[in-house]
Amino acid sequence: MKQFGVILRFELAGYLKNKIFVGVTVFLVLALGLLLFFPRVSALFKDGDDEAADEDRPVMLLDAGGEDEAALLEAFSAAFPDYEVRAGDAARIEAQIADGTAECAFALEGLGSYTYYVDDLSMYDMNTEIADQVLGQMYRLAAMTAEGLAPDQAADILSFRAEHTVEALGADQGQNFFYTYIMIFALYMVILLYGQMVANGVATEKSSRAMELLITSAKPVSMMFGKVIAACLAGLFQLVCVFGAALLFYRLNRAAWGDNMLMGALFDMPPALLGYMLLYFVLGFFLYAFLFGAVGSTATKLEDINTSVMPIMLVFIVGFIVVVFAMSSGTVNSALMRVCSYVPFTSPMAMFTRIAMSTVPWYEIALSALILAASVVGVGVLSARIYRVGVLLYGASPKLRDILRALRRRSLG
Amino acid sequence: MDLEFQDIRKSFGPKTVLDGVSFHARSGEALGLLGRNGAGKTTSIRILMGVFPADGGRVLLDGAPIDYGGVSMGYLPEERGLYPKKKIGEQLVYFARLNGMTKSGAAKAVDRWLERLGMAEYRDKRLDTLSKGNQQKIQLITALAHDPDIIILDEPFSGLDPVNAMLLKDVVKEELDRGKTVLFSSHQMSYIEEFCHSIAILRDGRIVLSGALHDIKRDYPRDKLVIRSEQADAIAAAFPDGCVRRASGELLLRLPSPEAKGETMKALAERFDLDELRVFEPSLNDIFVEYAGDQEQGGEKA
Repeated sequence: MKQFGVILRFELAGYLKNKIFVGVTVFLVLALGLLLFFPRVSALFKDGDDEAADEDRPVMLLDAGGEDEAALLEAFSAAFPDYEVRAGDAARIEAQIADGTAECAFALEGLGSYTYYVDDLSMYDMNTEIADQVLGQMYRLAAMTAEGLAPDQAADILSFRAEHTVEALGADQGQNFFYTYIMIFALYMVILLYGQMVANGVATEKSSRAMELLITSAKPVSMMFGKVIAACLAGLFQLVCVFGAALLFYRLNRAAWGDNMLMGALFDMPPALLGYMLLYFVLGFFLYAFLFGAVGSTATKLEDINTSVMPIMLVFIVGFIVVVFAMSSGTVNSALMRVCSYVPFTSPMAMFTRIAMSTVPWYEIALSALILAASVVGVGVLSARIYRVGVLLYGASPKLRDILRALRRRSLG
Repeated sequence: MDLEFQDIRKSFGPKTVLDGVSFHARSGEALGLLGRNGAGKTTSIRILMGVFPADGGRVLLDGAPIDYGGVSMGYLPEERGLYPKKKIGEQLVYFARLNGMTKSGAAKAVDRWLERLGMAEYRDKRLDTLSKGNQQKIQLITALAHDPDIIILDEPFSGLDPVNAMLLKDVVKEELDRGKTVLFSSHQMSYIEEFCHSIAILRDGRIVLSGALHDIKRDYPRDKLVIRSEQADAIAAAFPDGCVRRASGELLLRLPSPEAKGETMKALAERFDLDELRVFEPSLNDIFVEYAGDQEQGGEKA
């Protein structure tokens, strides 16, 4: 136990003193700070620039084509707040757009028909849809007043809109998609990165022959657990730094962000979800880190690692893809996802997604967590055994068969 | 302290690596564990250090089965290696602590040893910035810093220049004087002869020769004569069997029995003009080659 503590501290110090580790963490925190303080900082520079911005608006020309020009200009100005709408002459419109004095133009032939001129038609250009609405509205207004309705009455009727509110009783997928996605991605990155680091750490000790001394000084189980737990703590530390900084910066700037939909969707997550994230991160991390450690112990050279960890990575990546696909297609409770949320190798991501994006009964969560925890113990014991045998095998990377044979021998003897 | 290997057996799968190995080492004495590559030295050392258990036999310390919690061992592996990218002081303290020292005790011991080996200036350097010989000295500290009762040195002299080799000899002698048990494995027989009170020669997992070095030399059958003469060819012709010419130009004459010695010497002196005639005294190297090597006469002598 004392040895385990010494190893854990040594390995953890190795991460925390690593310049890349520190650099990446600081960079991420700074980048988040920059992003989240942006509206507040840009607001500082905005004062007094508003009028200038007004003049910078692109010009939209409008040829009324014999209709009531003043009313049309007013209606278009209201409908296109991003444009400066001016009266134009259909004959000169093309030239004005070509020389850049105007960005686009509407040439009306009555309320029922018009030509829209624009230099490059953007994929996202919605101006004709807006114009259709404005003109339709004006046509209906004109028609209703012609039938003898007072203009106010007609306007009231036209502006009628049914009011509605949405009350999501379970989870609101539109709301929680973004933070779930980010959390799943963080889970994926951290497990993959730190798992690889565990494998590399073990293989480095072996290839540098530090292992020769280590195995005579420390118990293999202490070594394995010390390494895996140190990597887990380092990963957790990084996650807490990054997520903590993001939350803190957002809180500080909540007013400046106002009711920005995206930011709200990102940060308004239920606190319980953070608890679930911690649970599934820790369990999922241990499961994979043990495997990575065991694989690392069987490699003789560092170069062998990349091919040896391939099967583990493949399982993990497939799990990630299944989850992300289910998320984006809104089918987080499909049969496949249900199965995945009990299989220990995919459940950290699959079950977490289901919890975040739908309503999962507590017993399903408990069962999935229990299976995962039991697998962690099983894989941990198995990995420690492989590790004990693996670290002493030199020469060509041993085949799976050799390891199994050595394991069997060990358990008999 | 009395360390004893009793009939230790170990096999890996179908391959028998140790087949009844026994030897004995005492405090203040160095035991030379000899054998060719693959003879089972490293496996013996690993069993001694408790890396894996033996299939049969016992490791005894002062007559009782060894208790790994109660005895400390220092090991200089033949395959050297520490953490190349980490600072020397840091990793030395780490290894000393793994071997049960406290943080401050480990730091003090590491400083003392760095000083003793003239490496104090490298304390905060990375290991891979050092020359091979200096890395070796650092590795030696990992074997000694925690003041172990049993010190196991596997090929300690390989890679050391004569000055550093001298320094290492002094260090080992100091440890022996302090009553430590030293297990020594080397292919450089001159060092073994210099240090080791007793030796054990391993061959194919068996001990083929063991005991105090001077007893072994004394008991070595005195049945060979060394002859230096201008008439070497004639002598070789006169004794067609058992006459070997050595690289130095001397003849080595094997006698049918040690008792034939006097008679043969007399006959040689009468018939030939001899520059030198003496009974062959084997060096450890000769003994090693004879017992550990592949020659036919090797094994049966034991």
